[in-house]
Amino acid sequence: MSLLEVDDVKITYRTPDKDVHAVNNVSFSIEEGDNYGLVGESGSGKSTLAKSVLGLLDDNGEIRSGSITFNGRELTNLSEREWRDVRWEEIAYIPQSAMDSLDPVMTVGEQIREAIHTHKDVTDAAANERVEEVFDIVGLDPGRTEDYPHEFSGGMRQRVTIAMALVLDPDLIIADEPTTGLDVIVQDKIVQKLMEIQEEIDSSLLLITHEVGVVAETCDEVSVLYGGKVMEQGKTFDVFNDPHNPYTMGLKNAFPEVDEFDENAISIPGSLPDLVEEPTGCVFRNRCPFATEECESAHPPLVGDEDQASACYYNDRADELQERAADPETWGIDVPEDDEGSDVGEVIVETDGLEKWFEQSQSIVADLLGGEPNYVKAVNGVDLDIREGEILGIAGESGCGKSTLAEVVSALQSQTGGDILFEGRPVDDLLDEDTKQFRSKVQFIFQDPFDSLNPRQRVRAAVSEPLKVQGVEPEEIERRVRQTVSDVGLNPPEKYLDKHPDQLSGGERQRVAIAQALVLDPRLLICDEPASMLDVSLKANILNILREMADERDIGIAYISHDLASLSQIADRLAVMYLGRVVETGPTEEVVENPKHPYAASLLEASPRADPSIDRQRVLLPGEPPNPVDLPGGCNFAPRCPKATDKCRQEDPARSEFADGDHEAACFYPVEDIESELLARYAREREQADRESAANIAEHEPATET
Amino acid sequence: MSFQRFLIKRTAIAAMLTLISVSVIFASLRLLPSDPFSGLVASGALTAEQVTQLREMYGLDEPIYVQYLKYVRNLFTLQFGISLTQQRPVGEIIIPALMNTLVLLLPALVVTAVVSSVAGMYAGWNRGSKFEQAGIVVTTFFRASPIFVTGILLLIVFSYGLNWLPAFGMRSPMANPQGYAQTYLSVDFLKHYILPFTATVLFYSGDFLMLARNSVVERKGSEFLMLHRAKGLSEMKQLARAGRNSLLPLVTYFALRTGMLFQGVITLEVVFAWPGIGRALVQAILNQDYPTVQAAVFIMALAVIVMNLTADIAYAKLDPTIKAGDV
Amino acid sequence: MSGYSLDAETARDRLSSEFGRAKETMAVVWQDTGAKFGLVILASFVFIGLFGPYIAPYHPIEDTLRRQGAMMRLTAPSGKALLGTTSFGKDVLSQFLAGARPTLIIGLFGGIGTGILGFLVGLTSGYFGGRIDEFLMRLTDLTFALPLLPMALLILSFVSPNVWLITAVLVIFLWKMPARVIRSEVMTVKERTFVKSARARGAGHLRTMFLHVAPNVLGIGFLYTAYAVGWSIVAGASLAFLGFGDPTTTSWGRMLQQVFRSGAIRVAWWWVLPPAFGIAAVTTSVFLVGRAFEEIVNPELQTEEQ
Repeated sequence: MSLLEVDDVKITYRTPDKDVHAVNNVSFSIEEGDNYGLVGESGSGKSTLAKSVLGLLDDNGEIRSGSITFNGRELTNLSEREWRDVRWEEIAYIPQSAMDSLDPVMTVGEQIREAIHTHKDVTDAAANERVEEVFDIVGLDPGRTEDYPHEFSGGMRQRVTIAMALVLDPDLIIADEPTTGLDVIVQDKIVQKLMEIQEEIDSSLLLITHEVGVVAETCDEVSVLYGGKVMEQGKTFDVFNDPHNPYTMGLKNAFPEVDEFDENAISIPGSLPDLVEEPTGCVFRNRCPFATEECESAHPPLVGDEDQASACYYNDRADELQERAADPETWGIDVPEDDEGSDVGEVIVETDGLEKWFEQSQSIVADLLGGEPNYVKAVNGVDLDIREGEILGIAGESGCGKSTLAEVVSALQSQTGGDILFEGRPVDDLLDEDTKQFRSKVQFIFQDPFDSLNPRQRVRAAVSEPLKVQGVEPEEIERRVRQTVSDVGLNPPEKYLDKHPDQLSGGERQRVAIAQALVLDPRLLICDEPASMLDVSLKANILNILREMADERDIGIAYISHDLASLSQIADRLAVMYLGRVVETGPTEEVVENPKHPYAASLLEASPRADPSIDRQRVLLPGEPPNPVDLPGGCNFAPRCPKATDKCRQEDPARSEFADGDHEAACFYPVEDIESELLARYAREREQADRESAANIAEHEPATET
Repeated sequence: MSFQRFLIKRTAIAAMLTLISVSVIFASLRLLPSDPFSGLVASGALTAEQVTQLREMYGLDEPIYVQYLKYVRNLFTLQFGISLTQQRPVGEIIIPALMNTLVLLLPALVVTAVVSSVAGMYAGWNRGSKFEQAGIVVTTFFRASPIFVTGILLLIVFSYGLNWLPAFGMRSPMANPQGYAQTYLSVDFLKHYILPFTATVLFYSGDFLMLARNSVVERKGSEFLMLHRAKGLSEMKQLARAGRNSLLPLVTYFALRTGMLFQGVITLEVVFAWPGIGRALVQAILNQDYPTVQAAVFIMALAVIVMNLTADIAYAKLDPTIKAGDV
Repeated sequence: MSGYSLDAETARDRLSSEFGRAKETMAVVWQDTGAKFGLVILASFVFIGLFGPYIAPYHPIEDTLRRQGAMMRLTAPSGKALLGTTSFGKDVLSQFLAGARPTLIIGLFGGIGTGILGFLVGLTSGYFGGRIDEFLMRLTDLTFALPLLPMALLILSFVSPNVWLITAVLVIFLWKMPARVIRSEVMTVKERTFVKSARARGAGHLRTMFLHVAPNVLGIGFLYTAYAVGWSIVAGASLAFLGFGDPTTTSWGRMLQQVFRSGAIRVAWWWVLPPAFGIAAVTTSVFLVGRAFEEIVNPELQTEEQ
């Protein structure tokens, strides 16, 4: 008997005008001790399924048919009281956003103790001991159990929720996107921790995520969901190594590996189906390049064996389809004929020792005593340049200052030191002279497509606004608006011009935002994570548009992202930032294949691999970036760097400390060979840490029994 | 910003506000065209000579800035001067009136804050229920109607109609109690107390109910409550957690309401002839008794400013996620 | 400044879409039973306010009712005086019908004035922040500290009150409420990406403020304008009840003052109830409609639909 068996489950949400069929006839089962992955984009029904296993569906959600059995017990007809016994003690839950999931007015220890007290009759002291124990297991300081959630960083909060899930030794842990929104290094550590723990306590894990890479690296079995249906199911290795279903192929395409350069990003055209009716044909048929009439008739049944089954009428042609799916043109993407890329031209913008420091307020006493105020050095001495027709990728984790840098360069914030030269002239002068004109040359694309358009403005008004501000003639405006809307792939323009933002999908909104920026024919375009909030299958669209703009219009583009895979696809040059500084820069291929700064190397190694045949060795960079207020002397990275020497702690390496042509890195001891040197060191440290924590667990073990 | 810095800044602002408020009060009283004596002269009750004497006695003949400085100094040393119409110290008129108002309103406010907040949280938790709907309509009626209308309706039903409770004043005409204990702890007082107390409770219930209800509704869909539920907490415990998270706006609002207490229900005191500060103020305005008006308005303004300060501090102290500077 | 200011076409487009939204919003408000009753009551109130004096059977002040030559003092409702008479022999029904108008004027104009002033102050304060914000917020603190009724009483005790003066005084003391709420709302909207985006596209402050920020807080602005109508009516009635209303006209508050002062409140329920219920019904209706509206405009109350 399996631990969890989901059998032919249908879930609908009632809304005032219609029912939404979120999950349709989904079946899967999890064996004891197994890791099971549910992969899919937003709207695939994966979170709904997870909630239904815990009885946490929203009030308007309902399991229409099918059964969910756990340890042989039927869950679908439990009363709220019966649920309370199952929850947490048998099935625990790691929520999607640890940021909002912890009660802000309770200490984390109190919240975890509450879980213990609800299910077990133990003393406060015993509960507390257990809390400290699980804190230790997840790698948190047991002395911090009485802190409030806001006192922890994002990654640490996620560890708190993991600790909470562990506290009662549940049989099954459901993790709903446990790493979404975390930086890649932190994500890697969390995944690693989950795996370690899960091996130790021998529970099963149901992992829900949209990241193919995370599933490929952690799960034994997987279901790929789309539109509330299982598209493909089976052993993770088989499913992702040799996908039979066109959707799996498309999804895999959307997760390029870090070291795949110059390939055209492939996305799945179209948008997700709305599920107001039960699917009559294959749910993916509208976006599938291989769809035929047969696909209209009914959703195909899952065909195959235990190792791999796919819901497609053309499973037998999988090999042929795979081959065709690797070609962008299959998915309706134009491949530029000249793949050389356009020539890189003149320097458009250049920063020289650029600084943006934010003053920290201090106590009034210190103020009166004339103490030096503290600064957060968000951008601290950055020298960069961007040329015509070039895409400069700026990579870094959250808090490294990359977004501040973007806003300072585009004069949305003023700098506190250093210079920005735009076409050879200081930006301050240009702004004084004619702000409008400067704005027409430098444009910005923001991260959040759902918030970057005024909800009260139609597309036409939104795209024409920059031209109106510039005082362009009405006819001219109309012409250019149409042209630009069409250029960003919203065709035909008439279909979109009179729509409000809430009638557009996320991908369409972001294209409107890009059109707003491009309509002025800017020389420089600064993009702050323009694709990070879009579904993976749509991300590639945005990348392709930007690439085209750089090549055809000779625009210089700064593309800021934490996602190295998309950076390596799109950027000509890469700059890696850490704590307000650029630690490494150079041609993308060089930096990715041969990183010289240990931070850049760790960042690159931390990206999960979607290809299950790659066995990646984990780099577990110790610690988290220090508080940017009190930076250590010497190299910023020294406290986390295993190679740091006294020299590193005293002296700050110049950017050009390592230089090989265009490739520069601020490190005294540049990385020679990742495998042999850096990883070996990290691995040694990790082993030692493991031994210690194992010893700790062994020590604590008897305590839980009593 | 550190808490200490925040505290100093807020206190300084409060002090400035107090000074500006008293100046505005002073200015509006002095800039107004007539003074109380001219009327008396016109009616022949006083001779011009007597008026000059009186003006001297009250310091009204001095230059305006001297009057202003003295006025400010006196206010901050709580010397409110002599009443123009009752020939006794304003303090003697105002302080007992203030006590009477506090005795009526503070308990009413506390009761309604607790009861309506709990009811509001329950209503928010059961959004869409009959209880919620009825609660909103009923409390909205009492909150929206002017309090003197509620008072008059209560009077008509319970005093004049059913004759259950007295309609007028704080005690029977025959009673002559001595000291606070006798004044406020007697059955006679209780009978007079019930109606105005009820009117106040009803009047303030709507704000607390809606505030508590909205806060709980806002938190009901939150991720952290979902996690509480996933942990196996019972429904009442989940509601308690949502309530704890809604407490902050309620406490803040309670402090603000307390500050506005004296000015909020002046008409109520008039309807029930409750000898409180609001009624004293209305009479003083009608009699053009400046010193009493000044003192009463000053006390009302001071209450608001002090309670605003309290609310700010409570907010900064109670919310663990907010650093003082963000308030 | 040409490109930085508002242009007519954009404004027209915006207006028409706002109008469409308003219609949709009203349709949703109409779903709420309480609000539906409220709207019906408000409609009748506006009708009485406009036409009351013309449909009143007698002149509320000049006509003294007599029966067999004797003045009809405090008579209970009868065929001649449907709602009875006052102690001066005036017809209560006529007074009630005529008394709606001052209430309507004070409520409507006090509310709109308060809404507009508060909206502008809140918008400016929240959008610009810094010193402007500090100054305007201290100003609101000041108007909070100065008690409304006493200050209004003071002013009105020296200037003979009329409806418009009372309205103006109320606006001076009430604008603080919407101003504070609008300000905090503006501060949230200001941080949203599309506002930053508008600046990045070259829009000036005026344009950003009125075309990007203001429309997104307009709902709250209307809501508080509605509430301000309620507050104005309450404050106006309270002033009249304390004897500081316009002495030349009949208003509901003044009717209550007369019945209370004359002592007739003990017996003449027919004189008390019409104005009392009139005021209570109108203010309650305003708030009920406002509450239903709030459920739509306050995004934080919409957690369940998502």
